[in-house]
Amino acid sequence: MSDTHDVETTGHQWDDDEGYPLREFNNPLPKWWLYSFYGTILWAVVYWILYPAWPLADGFTKGVLGWSMRQEFLGEMEASQAQKKVFNDRLEKLALQEIAKDNQLLQYAMSGGKALFGDYCAACHGSGGVGVKSGGFPTLADDDWLYGGDLDTIYATISNGRSGQMPAHLQSAGGGFSESQVNDLTEFVLSLSKRSKDPAASERGGVLFRGDAGCNACHGDNGNGSLKGTVSGTAAPPVGAPDLTDAIWLHGGDPATIRESIAKGRNGQMPAWSADAKDVGRKLQPLQIKQLTLYVHGLGGGK
Amino acid sequence: MLTQQEGDVGQQLNKTDQLYDYEVIKKFSVAAVIYAIVGFLVGVILALQLTFPDLNGNIPYLTFGRLRPLHTSAVIFAFGGSVLFATSYYVVQRTCQVRLFSNFLSSFTFWGWNLVVLLVVITYPLGLTQGKEYAEPIWPIDILITLVWVAYLINFLGTLARRKVRHIYVANWFYLAFIIAVAMLHIVNNLAIPVNLTDSYPVFAGVQDAMIQWWYGHNAVGFFLTAAFLGLMYYFVPKQAERPVYSYRLSVVHFWSLSFMYIWAGPHHLHYTALPDWASTLGATFSIMLLLPSWGGMINGIMTLSGAWHKLRTDPILRFFIVSLSFYGMSTFEGPMMSIKSVNALSHYTDWTIGHVHSGTLGWVSMVSFAALYHMVPRLWGVTIHSVPLINLHFWLSTIGVVIYIVAMWISGIMQGLMWRAYDSFGNLSYSFAETVAAMHPYYLIRAIGGIVFLVGALVMAYNLAMTVQKGATLTRPTAA
Amino acid sequence: MKHETIETSIPLLTILVLVAISIGGLVEIVPLFFIKSTIERVSGMRPYTPLELIGRDIYIREGCYNCHSQMIRPMRDEAERYGHYSLAAESMYDHPFQWGSKRTGPDLARVGGKYSNQWHQAHMRHPQSVVPESVMPGYPWLQKNALKYDDVEKRMQVLSKVGVPYTAEQIANAKQDVLAQASASGDASGLAKRYGNKVPKDDFDGQPDQVTELDAMLAYLQMLGTLVDFSSYQAQSR
Repeated sequence: MSDTHDVETTGHQWDDDEGYPLREFNNPLPKWWLYSFYGTILWAVVYWILYPAWPLADGFTKGVLGWSMRQEFLGEMEASQAQKKVFNDRLEKLALQEIAKDNQLLQYAMSGGKALFGDYCAACHGSGGVGVKSGGFPTLADDDWLYGGDLDTIYATISNGRSGQMPAHLQSAGGGFSESQVNDLTEFVLSLSKRSKDPAASERGGVLFRGDAGCNACHGDNGNGSLKGTVSGTAAPPVGAPDLTDAIWLHGGDPATIRESIAKGRNGQMPAWSADAKDVGRKLQPLQIKQLTLYVHGLGGGK
Repeated sequence: MLTQQEGDVGQQLNKTDQLYDYEVIKKFSVAAVIYAIVGFLVGVILALQLTFPDLNGNIPYLTFGRLRPLHTSAVIFAFGGSVLFATSYYVVQRTCQVRLFSNFLSSFTFWGWNLVVLLVVITYPLGLTQGKEYAEPIWPIDILITLVWVAYLINFLGTLARRKVRHIYVANWFYLAFIIAVAMLHIVNNLAIPVNLTDSYPVFAGVQDAMIQWWYGHNAVGFFLTAAFLGLMYYFVPKQAERPVYSYRLSVVHFWSLSFMYIWAGPHHLHYTALPDWASTLGATFSIMLLLPSWGGMINGIMTLSGAWHKLRTDPILRFFIVSLSFYGMSTFEGPMMSIKSVNALSHYTDWTIGHVHSGTLGWVSMVSFAALYHMVPRLWGVTIHSVPLINLHFWLSTIGVVIYIVAMWISGIMQGLMWRAYDSFGNLSYSFAETVAAMHPYYLIRAIGGIVFLVGALVMAYNLAMTVQKGATLTRPTAA
Repeated sequence: MKHETIETSIPLLTILVLVAISIGGLVEIVPLFFIKSTIERVSGMRPYTPLELIGRDIYIREGCYNCHSQMIRPMRDEAERYGHYSLAAESMYDHPFQWGSKRTGPDLARVGGKYSNQWHQAHMRHPQSVVPESVMPGYPWLQKNALKYDDVEKRMQVLSKVGVPYTAEQIANAKQDVLAQASASGDASGLAKRYGNKVPKDDFDGQPDQVTELDAMLAYLQMLGTLVDFSSYQAQSR
């Protein structure tokens, strides 16, 4: 299969002792290729003139456009602020309750709230606020609240965070009570939602609940929680203690989990999102917290 | 087709046996096929883990984060490296008409390289890593790599020095540039101070480390996966097509321009990061200027077939070459496009980057490697290939597998990029990050399927080549005519 | 010179290749060490505490950077999703850098303080339990593995050799600082004296009687992106 093109090849050949010898034509550089190559070089040179390009002793060529990536960003942010200015000004001025009455402004706030919720809150509270049992993160989509579901309280919760501290009760976990006492308390709590199977234990537990264990100090004399409960006639303190008489449980309402809550205690932490709170890290501006408040309130359970 | 050489092969074997060192090449060829299977398999596992996260199994040694570097190292260095050792040793001997410089160095590079691979396979799942992409081996392994590489350079240069042909063939320029560049990149990017036998801290940090890492990383692509395989192409395509290379002039111009331009492209991995604007500009502009030099290789490869297109009808090895060069052209167009800052603003961090990588590594590197192995292995063992139809089957499985893979990643990557920056009519973000992850799922599945198809093709190749080698092992040596 | 001269001479070929491939690297890399505006002048940056350092090493061990970036770009959607764009100064002590190249998972440059430790405990154990859409593997062994920190002084010494400004006092107190930082109670004054007051200190893993790998990992994650005082930072052209 040898061809007779030798006169057009470079004249050199390699590896001719097996099969086809390697040879090379010397075809000219394709014109389109060469001109395109020059074109890209020209483009590069123009780019270097216009934009920051070449390092110097202690600086770099800035380019005639005076462009910088970070300045462009500032421009982008200013433009977006300008676009939203009308809405944002009103959002800042008006109180939450007034915003809720203005339909268009409310829609704007809900859109902003939804965007913020997705990347800041949903990790704990779930998409759409459905809550996550395993970490003890409350659902925000129902009307059962720990600290209050009105706009101002939701705002405060987001701004300042919440620290839901339930002490441990079992001795081995740092509390002051024995295994059987913790069992009794568990039975009593179950009785509050009419699920106790051991009336005697439940009665002993009730004595502890309102006595040495002091559960009523937070959960109220009848276990109705911070929002609805009373302690000797006065309102229970607003510490976010849940209502133990209903079917909604933050960490789990089965007997084993209730027992664990009582034995080891719970420590629910909601970060403080406000820009001047002590928490370091990501911070939100009042305008953003307002939008989040309205969004959360609007998830279905706002009061 | 292969028929022309079939009769001669047995006779040539006698001569070549005495002249050339085929033993080390045979060993590297076998290693290449094994590592291809291993590397592709780990890739498929990764693809399935992203689709079905439970496949991480709560087993520390098998989590995605520890396995991914195993995949990249296996396919680039174990598979790609073995192909390059095998073919460069084959090409340099045959084009210089002289045996490899040193039997000892040849052996050292083979056993040394495989020891590197073995150590990598052991260390990565244990979490022993330097944490730099494509440069994960811990410092003792880095030293071993350096020793093997120096041996390789000496062996290669020594062979060139002893050549019986005055002009050094173009394939060897590319192989030489690859060996030298990788030495430079490897040493600088891995400078570190050890803490103990398995741990170290790199000398560089932050933005400087980022620049050095991607100077390295991009040129691992540029010289290991591009220049070296262009060297491979320059030998095997004209040999298989039985045509002269299209243009010597073009090979000279594109060799030097590619070698010069490629090195500057690194910053295109760092657009819009904390790397200064000026470096970003250099990365973008040189990446664009790199386009035509890269295409020089594609043109020379494809146009070498000019006058022999009819052979594509009957020779599946040529089909591998043509399609691999087409993917090469496509990837070396896509790359510069993605290096433009405004395009990169969308593509960075997305699956589009993954799609681009795999169109280059599967479409170009793997397929041109398969073609070279199909050409080389029968000749090494002095036989004909076991089955030509199986080469064809492999060809179709590869092509289909690659296309499925990259289309899935184009869709998911661009979708991801667009979703991240989507705004509603009020100017607020439309999607949470988690929502974008959920949207990826069907494409992760399709990509896994593409990878599985590609892996099946490689298994077909392994079978075909194993049967071929077996033929060679049982063949009685023909006496010289 | 005709190309024939080069392709018939190994020294010439080798040297010219070396020259061709050296220029780009020199021009792009060397100035980054000399141009002063490369690393922004900011207040608040400090080296990693010993506990955070080990946490970072675990982050690298597990290959987290394969899916998570730590580099917020100066783009509007990133500012809204992740916060202020990342400065070069913020990773100046990262050996190796962790900017990442892929976002299979979200960017973590400013994840510090965004989620509670409780959330992180659940998420590390089984990510899908808190984020159903996640494709992240679980890392339940982190909270079971006791933290190994015998060599933390050695690590800090090596890092100071490569430019991280650890003081002798910081190195001498490294082990105590590990224990102090991984506890919710106890004296924080030593930590504050040596590392300032932006040091997250807590029983990160929810297991007060153990110091585990999860303590270290969370100490690291909970300080990411929290150090620089942006109120005093002015964007400069660089």
